[in-house]
Amino acid sequence: MKQVININFHGQVVPIEVSAFELLKDYTDSLSRYFANEEGKEEIINDIESRIGELFQERLKKGATCITDDDVNAIIKSMGRPEEFEDADDNSSKKSSNSQSAGAESSQAYTATPGASKRLYRTENDKVIGGVCGGLANYFGLDTTVVRIVFVIVALAFGTGLLAYLILWIAVPSSASTIIGGTRKKLFRDPDNKLIAGVCSGIGNYFGVNSWLPRILFLLPFLSFVFRWNDWGYMNFPNFINLSFSPGSLIVYIILWLVIPEATNTAEKLEMKGEKVDMNSIKNSIVGEMKGMQQRAEKFGQEAKTLAEEKGKMMGTEVKSAARRTGRSLGDIIVLLVKIFAYFIIGCVSFGLVVALFALAIFSIGIFPLKDFVLDNGWQSVFAWGALLFFIAVPVIGIITWIIRRLAKMKSNRRVLRFSFISLWIIGWFCMISLIASVSRDFRSGNNIVERDIALANPGTKKLELTTNSPDRKFYRNNWLRFEPFEGMEDDTAFVKNVEVKILKSPTDSFKVTMVKMANGRNRRYADTLANLIDFNVFQKDSLLVLDKGIAITRQNKFRNQRVIITVYVPVGKQIRIDRNVGWGHDVRFGNWDNGDFNINIDDEERGWDHDVDYMMKADGLYTLDGNPADEDDHRHPNRTRVRVNRNGIEINDGDDDIKVDENGVKINESQDGYRYDSSKPASVLDSMRLRLEQEKRRAKDSLRKVKEDAEKQLEKIGLNQTPVEPISQLQSYSLLVNID
Amino acid sequence: MNIDNTASQMRKGVLEFCILSVIKQGEAYPSDIIDKMREANLNILEGTLYPLLTRLKNAEFLTYRWIESNSGPPRKYFSLTEKGAAFYKELEATWNELANAVKALSEAEQEHTAEQENSTEQENINNNFNNP
Repeated sequence: MKQVININFHGQVVPIEVSAFELLKDYTDSLSRYFANEEGKEEIINDIESRIGELFQERLKKGATCITDDDVNAIIKSMGRPEEFEDADDNSSKKSSNSQSAGAESSQAYTATPGASKRLYRTENDKVIGGVCGGLANYFGLDTTVVRIVFVIVALAFGTGLLAYLILWIAVPSSASTIIGGTRKKLFRDPDNKLIAGVCSGIGNYFGVNSWLPRILFLLPFLSFVFRWNDWGYMNFPNFINLSFSPGSLIVYIILWLVIPEATNTAEKLEMKGEKVDMNSIKNSIVGEMKGMQQRAEKFGQEAKTLAEEKGKMMGTEVKSAARRTGRSLGDIIVLLVKIFAYFIIGCVSFGLVVALFALAIFSIGIFPLKDFVLDNGWQSVFAWGALLFFIAVPVIGIITWIIRRLAKMKSNRRVLRFSFISLWIIGWFCMISLIASVSRDFRSGNNIVERDIALANPGTKKLELTTNSPDRKFYRNNWLRFEPFEGMEDDTAFVKNVEVKILKSPTDSFKVTMVKMANGRNRRYADTLANLIDFNVFQKDSLLVLDKGIAITRQNKFRNQRVIITVYVPVGKQIRIDRNVGWGHDVRFGNWDNGDFNINIDDEERGWDHDVDYMMKADGLYTLDGNPADEDDHRHPNRTRVRVNRNGIEINDGDDDIKVDENGVKINESQDGYRYDSSKPASVLDSMRLRLEQEKRRAKDSLRKVKEDAEKQLEKIGLNQTPVEPISQLQSYSLLVNID
Repeated sequence: MNIDNTASQMRKGVLEFCILSVIKQGEAYPSDIIDKMREANLNILEGTLYPLLTRLKNAEFLTYRWIESNSGPPRKYFSLTEKGAAFYKELEATWNELANAVKALSEAEQEHTAEQENSTEQENINNNFNNP
């Protein structure tokens, strides 16, 4: 029993079965999709429909009561399905060679079964989200759980796993496409409805949404400057997306462009748009799924049964054959192990390279906004862009594309692609090298060093405390990607905290502060100009010496290792303290500091003072208020002589020996290796006494030896005509003396 | 490279020429064209024919007029325009050239391969003779 409806088909009333009508509608829909971009679309479809109408009339005239499924199928067969049309338009004949190979590939996909051919599919049977992990596991013959764990770890660790998953989800076809022939939909780039490469419209087709939706999603990061206007708290976009020029979506777009094939022939275009979701296709897919389930259940039962038997058998045969073949298989095993090892090493190295490249990419994107503060606007900028795009982005995109194409077993039919990648990369190398050469030229010479006194309002103060004018001010904006040396960045100014503080003993009884400004430049004159342009304020307010927080670098006057060295001369008996905000642990610089005139060798550990500690200047250097030397460091100078005076007594220690004076009396601990003297070391009290003894002995010896030599000379003179008996006895007495010690 | 593909490529090239030669014989209705081509052993789907006709019409090689039919909607009857006739002449000339060339080449090829086979056979015999 079938329902029959009447339709108005090209001016004719046609009674038709409901199911036949569905078929007819599907067919005409597929036609209109096929001819969507044809010039005379309406006319062609009209012609075909009127021809169908004519055929309907013929059937009805022959006595049929209504149009049945069979009738419609017969008509469709004679008219031909769009896939069967022989396409003769210029467009497709131009690309015919291309479409042929793609067509051949896709027809393979039709017939392929997921197990038999090694193509990467997303699995539909064993999926949690998109079946990507299951598919990968199938492909590599691993356990699905292992792959999932790896993905989760990668996703948690870098966040890139998520992106990779999404890309694979989209790029890899579902295994359902092979099981359920009718409802398959493939991701193609849509050449008919494209703005750039048809990626977005292809995605739109795939997900059945308007192509503007993916387009807007791609454009959104480009508009991210909107988000920079406001502080969104925790919802702030990470910097990677937040840059006004967002390479993120651009790179994704380019990768998708390279990875997704273009729909060139009819079959692909139809696959791209997919068949309409109707009752039939849903039913088909459900039936298919049910069948699959049943098969799987049966298979599982059988497997479980045979597994036990096989295991038993295998154990027996394995033991037997292993005993027989040990000699030969041992060699095989070694070869296998070596191979595995080699592959492992190669894999690790290449993985490391890829990761390094990615890190470099992210890092350079992070520092890219700073380029205006370092580079000239002319060629250097061009080189910087070239280096970023070609030297870093190109290989990243290339590698991702290569991996995906490899996994998806897409034919790398494009030698052109590889060549263009390589040549772009060479351009990138060129840009990189030119950039480095050009920039290092700009840093070539240093300025003339002038040490300027800073007028102090009250040089006679007891204590001087160094602080900054805005200690609480933070210059950086977000915590995601902070390029440290450039502490803060505003639109036209960056701050560099290249401020060094040295403490020296003052020759007079008042404080004295000097400042040295340093900069590099293309030549010495320019470096001088830049150094003079450094605007760094120091002034005294009561006992406070207030310094600027950092050196401002503007876009006009680029960063050329600008640096300020503040030297504080502290008079003996006065105190000094340096606030935590002053100075900076890490210097920002390119190239070499040393400009010949002013050699500075103060690094963080050796600068001789700590932040937030009160120091007192004494005749032999800077001491803390406890009486310890300012540059004392137990770990670095274990043999340094130390003198401690406190309630418990006096303790003198030089690493090896120590003398303790307390209520128990004087106690001397000598080291086991006995006497030792090293002139490079400062002598302890004990050492110096020993040293003096030694010197005395040596002096006595020397004088005796001298006397002896003189005597010998005289003897020689005399001994020419005298018998040498007497003098010898005299000499022996001398030598007795000499041998005392 | 598969045979079906190559064959269909070849057919594609001459399809328009065939359609024009059918229409040249007189006003024709699409299903007539299909029938005639089928008689000549050239199977073509109607779905392929209609777009081709529309394209040829849009290129002003064909024109049509409506003729009422007693079964179903009115029919389009196609005929050649002057431009179409000139185009047909050109195509015909090209086709003849091509056919002659293909014929000449394939015959030459056959003879050549025949010769080659002979010579290799001869060599084989010689070899056998020399190295018993």
